[in-house]
Amino acid sequence: MQSLTDTKLTIYGEQFTSRMLIGSALYPSPEVMQAAIATSGAEIVTVSLRRQQTKQAGDDFWTLIKEMGLRVLPNTAGCHSVKEAVTLAQMCREVFATDWIKLELIGDEYNLQPDPIALLEATEILLKDGFKVLPYCTDDLVLCQRLDALGCEVLMPWGAPIGTGKGLLNPYNLQTIRTRLPHQTLIVDAGLGLPSHACQALELGYDAVLLNSAVAGAGCPITMAKAFEASTVAGRLSYLAKAMPQKEVASPSTPTLGMPFWHAN
Amino acid sequence: MSTQARVAILGFGLTGRIAALMLAERYQISVFEQAKQGTESSAGSVAAAMLAPLAESVICDEALALQGLESMKLWPQLLAKLENPVFFQQQGSLIVAHGQDRGDLVSFQQRLKPLRDHSAEVVNGARIAQLEPELGGVFHQGLYLPCEGQLDNQAFYQSSAATLTKQGVEINYGVHCNEAQKAQLSQAYDWVIDCRGLGAKATCNGLRGVRGEVARIYAPEVTLTRPVRLMHPRYPIYIAPKPDHQFVIGATEIESQDNGEITVRSTLELLSAAYSVHRGFAEARVLSLLAGLRPAFKDNHPKIEQQGNVISINGLYRHGYLLAPLIVKQALSKELL
Repeated sequence: MQSLTDTKLTIYGEQFTSRMLIGSALYPSPEVMQAAIATSGAEIVTVSLRRQQTKQAGDDFWTLIKEMGLRVLPNTAGCHSVKEAVTLAQMCREVFATDWIKLELIGDEYNLQPDPIALLEATEILLKDGFKVLPYCTDDLVLCQRLDALGCEVLMPWGAPIGTGKGLLNPYNLQTIRTRLPHQTLIVDAGLGLPSHACQALELGYDAVLLNSAVAGAGCPITMAKAFEASTVAGRLSYLAKAMPQKEVASPSTPTLGMPFWHAN
Repeated sequence: MSTQARVAILGFGLTGRIAALMLAERYQISVFEQAKQGTESSAGSVAAAMLAPLAESVICDEALALQGLESMKLWPQLLAKLENPVFFQQQGSLIVAHGQDRGDLVSFQQRLKPLRDHSAEVVNGARIAQLEPELGGVFHQGLYLPCEGQLDNQAFYQSSAATLTKQGVEINYGVHCNEAQKAQLSQAYDWVIDCRGLGAKATCNGLRGVRGEVARIYAPEVTLTRPVRLMHPRYPIYIAPKPDHQFVIGATEIESQDNGEITVRSTLELLSAAYSVHRGFAEARVLSLLAGLRPAFKDNHPKIEQQGNVISINGLYRHGYLLAPLIVKQALSKELL
């Protein structure tokens, strides 16, 4: 019997078993946050730094994050300009002692849609400054190609706007990015609401998903974290197994040859 | 000479004041507060002072929300002990959302946990206009939570200090009690009630500060009769009407120990939220912009601990006004009440 071997998720040379990255915001309490993240099996946790959370001021919360023993991926949530994002990335590097940065640069306040032009500019600055940039971007192929050309080793196109829970709004675009950038580590970031959305992203061949509200905002975050873990495993296995091709006409799974004539019609 | 037992209360924030009010008639009380008189920055002095067990049930477990419901009933008794009347209201709260945030309102409604016979009423534009005439035509759907209320925390702070002073409670401002001094006080007094909040952080395992910011404004052109909560993607923003057209707008919620001044971003968020609810806020006068830290444990639940003759009450998080009467009563009931 043929057995399928999988590679690990690779982010700037580091390897991970879990294919879910999880956020640390909006949980009912830090205790629930820790339990949900632990249940999710995620090995990478994203954290957002605000200006009031300097090393000292935010220490209590960072301690809660550090207690989990996971790889921390700081993000620049809430930044609207290149300068703001670069400054915050530098603060993050100091506070979290990591050169990883999830670069989030908002172009539209209401949709929280990434600003693709500012994103390219900030990515270039941060890569030159030695950062390992994980850009949060829209599902635009050309933008992803440009980010790829700048030297990003991970791209994170959105499934839908942050916090909407609408799932993959444009699977065609996401599929195109996957097909055209086969060497890239691709992570669907934002917009997931259901485990089936995560499963779909993995089925498309995305390497991982990044989510926060879908778990933190669930009625029971801990149970939902478990559901997402199962769905990412299912989606990845499905991708590896290569799904059957879709057909336009029915093809019976039980041959009709030999069926008694009185069963016909 | 008094034969009353002597009680030292550490911290003159919300819990310290409630403890003093509950004990003042039976005990000889000394209060030790680290802030100088008139410079209090405790969570209770900054809060919007909402009593919102049903709305809070969205983010906390049912047991805690039910405690809140019980606790609210104790406020009239507590306020009755005060010399000067303190604004207290239980006319419900109104939850509204702008069109773009309707999804948040639906999600909020789904997560409300009915508390005994208290539940939310879904309201349309006409009903909103009936409840709050000045919001008629602005919002077309929302929720009305009849069991909720609020009080005026500034008036409570002033009146409780005046009343307790008159009752002979010795209030020592500008005295910081560390653990060594607390141990000394536990020798000198029959009982020590530790209500220091974040002042006890050094020895209180897992206690953290959660920053909150509020604006207090005077808006003569606006009349609201009950607190209005506006859906916001990150934290609940209440517009709580206090007497004389004053409104408290808050509060932000940031995982940070920073108790510095309010930021421009938070100010903009709070004030633009108010303006989006009622255009009359445009000409309002800003009376104060305050920031404070809420003491919270990892589960965001309050804790009562007793070691010998020292009783500690801490971690009321964002539920100070809602839970403090019941939690303080529970803490004192076994030995002192």
